[in-house]
Amino acid sequence: MTMNREREVIELEQGWAVMQKGITKLKNLLEGVPEQQFNSKEYIMFYKTIYKMCTQKPLQDYSQQLYDRYRESFEEYINSTVLPALREKHDEFMLRELVMRWDNHKIMVRWLSRFFNYLDRYFIARKSLPALGEVGLMCFRDLVYAEMKTNVKDAVITLIDREREGEQIDRALLKSVLGIFVEIGMGNMDVYETDFEGFMLQDTAAYYSHKAASWIEEDSCPDYMLKAEECLKREKERVGHYLHASSEQKLLEKVQHELLTKYENHLLEKEHSGCDALLRDDKVEDLSRMYRLFCRISRGLEPVAAIFRQHVTDEGIMLVKQAADAASSNKGEKKDSVGAQEQAFVCNVNELHDKCLLYVSECFLNDSLFHEALKEAFCNISEELLVTVFDLLKKGGSVKLSDEAIEDTSEKVGELLAYIGDQDLFAKLWRIDGDTLASSLTSSSNEGVPQHSSLQQLRDESDPSIVVALMGTTTTEDFFTRVTTLGRGSGKDSQLESHE
Amino acid sequence: MVRKEDTVRLISAEGYEFVIEREAALVSNTLKNMLTSTGSFTETQLGEVRFPEISAPILEKVCQYFYWSLQFASGKETEFHIDPEMTLELMMAANYLHT
Repeated sequence: MTMNREREVIELEQGWAVMQKGITKLKNLLEGVPEQQFNSKEYIMFYKTIYKMCTQKPLQDYSQQLYDRYRESFEEYINSTVLPALREKHDEFMLRELVMRWDNHKIMVRWLSRFFNYLDRYFIARKSLPALGEVGLMCFRDLVYAEMKTNVKDAVITLIDREREGEQIDRALLKSVLGIFVEIGMGNMDVYETDFEGFMLQDTAAYYSHKAASWIEEDSCPDYMLKAEECLKREKERVGHYLHASSEQKLLEKVQHELLTKYENHLLEKEHSGCDALLRDDKVEDLSRMYRLFCRISRGLEPVAAIFRQHVTDEGIMLVKQAADAASSNKGEKKDSVGAQEQAFVCNVNELHDKCLLYVSECFLNDSLFHEALKEAFCNISEELLVTVFDLLKKGGSVKLSDEAIEDTSEKVGELLAYIGDQDLFAKLWRIDGDTLASSLTSSSNEGVPQHSSLQQLRDESDPSIVVALMGTTTTEDFFTRVTTLGRGSGKDSQLESHE
Repeated sequence: MVRKEDTVRLISAEGYEFVIEREAALVSNTLKNMLTSTGSFTETQLGEVRFPEISAPILEKVCQYFYWSLQFASGKETEFHIDPEMTLELMMAANYLHT
């Protein structure tokens, strides 16, 4: 049993009439005209028609014409129906129409490319032409998208700005529209970036620049920071709701630049509410926010750390001065109180230190930049501090200080000495006042106990080699000699020498 | 026992019906397109496809091929025997069905 090989030849127009019916039916379905859905018989008929027309003898191989007419079908539909519908609408309505037309278009492409599927298999490969699916997409892109893209972009950006002002907008719609930008790119993000993202970023920058200019004048530093943080949060949400994920980084950078980078110094130096004021008033939450905001910009924390360092130094030096003044004013009075005075002073300095350390760990999240700043500040203070402490001890040296007083003081001094990480600085100070310190330490009536406890403190907190040298003493004179030798030495080597 | 929903009916020119498993039918790309489209083809519900162009013996051979192909895909090696007289029509059918 053989099949009938003498098939009827289908002429182009004949075959095309069949296809045209199918195309019309499809269009009707899309437009909502009541029609039966396609059934298998029709599908087979369309497919078969194309198949036959492509496999007929060369003279009647209508592949090329079919391919062209396929594309023309789209063009005709777009020009006659889709574009006019889009042109007559504006703004949000236009966007809705666009999304609907795009979805319809995708359906149309899918069905027609199934019917014309046979072309996809051989004809396009032979002639290296774009596949049917691509052709369909390109029609939409070149006819509809090219004409509408500017309007669409403007409409979307307007809606975004309205949302920024607090209006409710249709986020799902925006997500669909932006999805179109991405899909039209057919695999890469160029279209999305050039036709939409670039403009959106520009508009964002302008919007926030405008806002910032007015806020910076009106608001205090903490209020401004609150607003800035709020804006950044909302923009990030915006990306989650409808912008493409790739925009997130660029968008946040723009906003940060407009709100924070441009105005950083202005903000920090605001007289009654800037960084310095916040430190003075102990505004932990505001300081934390400041850290969070400025750590996003490169080098944004340096000015903050600088102000922090300055503040600590100022506070420290103020304490030093206070104590010095108090001591000198007390000179004429009861000498007993001098001991208490200097204790209180050392206490205060310690308090300051603890408070600042708390700032660094809580507000500034233990950022190394701030640890550095703190260290430097205390270095600066320490020099002043030691000079004053020695002074006080000198003055107090003529009075018999109680053992506990010395011990306490030495303990605290030892802690603070931990800040003098720099060996040379320590050595230098010893050189200047080592005599004084040594003599004051040794001038108290008890040689044994206080010395050892303060030396213990020193051992725990500072360079072991110094302390080792000091610990080797037995007599007062010996101690004195060693200390002064140490002070006059220029470094580790000389210390080791004197130890031997 | 094969469930009703998993079968497809292929109907030849003479009207013979061949009932095969859905999975077998999907070997043919054409049938796959038809049966898995997200639009609404009525045959996705009826599970019935007509081939007025293909005669019964050819269609029968085609169905055998579907099953053979499924077996072959799982690694077993078997031979698929084709009568020389059938070859041309079989090839044309295969082309049509994109198999």
